[in-house]
Amino acid sequence: MKREHIVPLLLITPFALITVLVLAAIINIMVQSLGYMPVFGLYDISLKYYLEELSRPEVLQSLGVSVRVALFSAVLAAVIGTIICAALVRTGRTRGVMLYTVRLPILVPHTVVAVFTVALLAQTGLFARIAFALGMIGDYTEFPMLLFGKDYWGVILAYVWKEAPFIAYFSLALMANVSATLGEAAENLGASPMRSFFHITLPMSLPAIARGFIIVFIFAFGGYELPMLLGSTVPKAFPVYTYIEFIKPDFKLRPYAMAMNGITLIMSLVMALIYALLMQRLMKKIGGGYEG
Amino acid sequence: MKDREYMRDPDSSTSGTHIHEKTEDRADVRSVSRNEERTESRTEKGSGSRNRCMRAVLALTVFFIFLPVIVTMLWTVTGRWPWPSLLPESYTTRTLQELFSGSSSLHEILRGSVLIATIVALLGTVIAMMTARATEIYRIRGRQIISWSAMLPLIVPGTVFAMGIQVILIRMGLGDTVAGVILVHLVAALPYCVFIMTDITAAVGSNLEEQAQILGAGPVRSFFDVSVPQLLPGILSSASMAYIISYSQYFTTLLAGGGKVKTLALVMVPYIQSGDRALSSVYAVTFVGSALIVFFIFEALIHRIMRSEES
Repeated sequence: MKREHIVPLLLITPFALITVLVLAAIINIMVQSLGYMPVFGLYDISLKYYLEELSRPEVLQSLGVSVRVALFSAVLAAVIGTIICAALVRTGRTRGVMLYTVRLPILVPHTVVAVFTVALLAQTGLFARIAFALGMIGDYTEFPMLLFGKDYWGVILAYVWKEAPFIAYFSLALMANVSATLGEAAENLGASPMRSFFHITLPMSLPAIARGFIIVFIFAFGGYELPMLLGSTVPKAFPVYTYIEFIKPDFKLRPYAMAMNGITLIMSLVMALIYALLMQRLMKKIGGGYEG
Repeated sequence: MKDREYMRDPDSSTSGTHIHEKTEDRADVRSVSRNEERTESRTEKGSGSRNRCMRAVLALTVFFIFLPVIVTMLWTVTGRWPWPSLLPESYTTRTLQELFSGSSSLHEILRGSVLIATIVALLGTVIAMMTARATEIYRIRGRQIISWSAMLPLIVPGTVFAMGIQVILIRMGLGDTVAGVILVHLVAALPYCVFIMTDITAAVGSNLEEQAQILGAGPVRSFFDVSVPQLLPGILSSASMAYIISYSQYFTTLLAGGGKVKTLALVMVPYIQSGDRALSSVYAVTFVGSALIVFFIFEALIHRIMRSEES
């Protein structure tokens, strides 16, 4: 009897310790961002650092850049990912070589994705050369500055290359399942394939696609490597800016960097919460019938 | 979390089959033959062009996935590739020589990266296995909280976590150490390991293990001889996932290792920043290549186990 109580506790201990570490990091950010750093004689707890950060135009600009990158990357990745997923399901290529190909970008680290992006999208990259060969541009300076530009298109496209296959891969199981059961049933009852896809398969696959969307949004919002390597110097992406504030040697400035981390943290938690609530409603709406 | 059970394998539509049967039951027997006719005619006419369209989508996908890979591989042996040529003008092995001889530390860095990733894969999988056993077999209380805690590192961006944990690591005496780097990589990899191990542990269950115990096997032996072989596909895919995640970490390695712990992800960044396309391409190809080798070894092992289980 006693053993039955102790064994699960022992089993969960290492996981619990790691979770404590994550929570400690979060608490550390929250406490420091509110201005409490006894080591440096900062005792006053206030929202001062948040308010000051949020009133600086550079910070707001940088926040805007990151929201834009995250939103565009997530929307494009979700749309393209869904199309790839549907194509995989429709052609029945849900395993084998095709699936390994789709998984490849998921395995490629961001630093390498940056190298790939430069090779294709730089003003002297392959696409610019093809445009020149086709007579579309007269010189490489005429090719749009996708990299290092203020619009962050290079960063967005780099995220789409990596994350559209991610969404396709992680929605595949659900979509294949729905399509093989309810989608096919609808077609057998006379629905056109288009109708069965848009009215049955796509709505039922939404939980997986929405989850992918949220994960990509949080990744792209909080990501460091791609905007650091492919983004502009002004405005900087929010995590890049945060890190610059973070490594300033004056420790009295630390709460400012931590307030910026706090903003990212709150945004991510809000996104996760929206997702959780959305899923709950979606599950209630369609769950009843499908869970059977 | 409810949709997780559909995520296992696209081909094993176990959770959906009974719905299929239900719909068929409901269908009018008389209309079945008519439906069959209609389905046949549709597959002949309608889906022909649509399937062609879908195949074109897949062809485009494959093209855009491989295009940057091929161009980057070309860059690794490029001597001169001036604007606006579509192909390099001259080829060289300079970059390859530089990679292997120029910096004698590449060998060391590669060994360091592999070592860290292997330890993370091992620890992550063992911890996830223990966690899954506690929640799925022992049905420990607070499973909902555990499941949310497992998601936490996915919700909190790696940059935020790394900046928050740095001071804590230094206070623990783990700042700028390999152990500290392993710890932060573990945090990044654990969500995936826990998802994979929870799924497979729930699927395997404990029935066979209990039978072995009834037949006289000790708890340890029944676990290692009965359950572990069944869990093996999950163990391997959890390990390969953790390996790849650890291998790819840049920002967390930079902060926890303070630049003193060097991994492949870390050392290639200056080359990208300097704009040396040939050298950064060589590092990129080495990086992806060495990661993929490990990934495919794991995949091959999983396939082998699955096949031997089927037969």
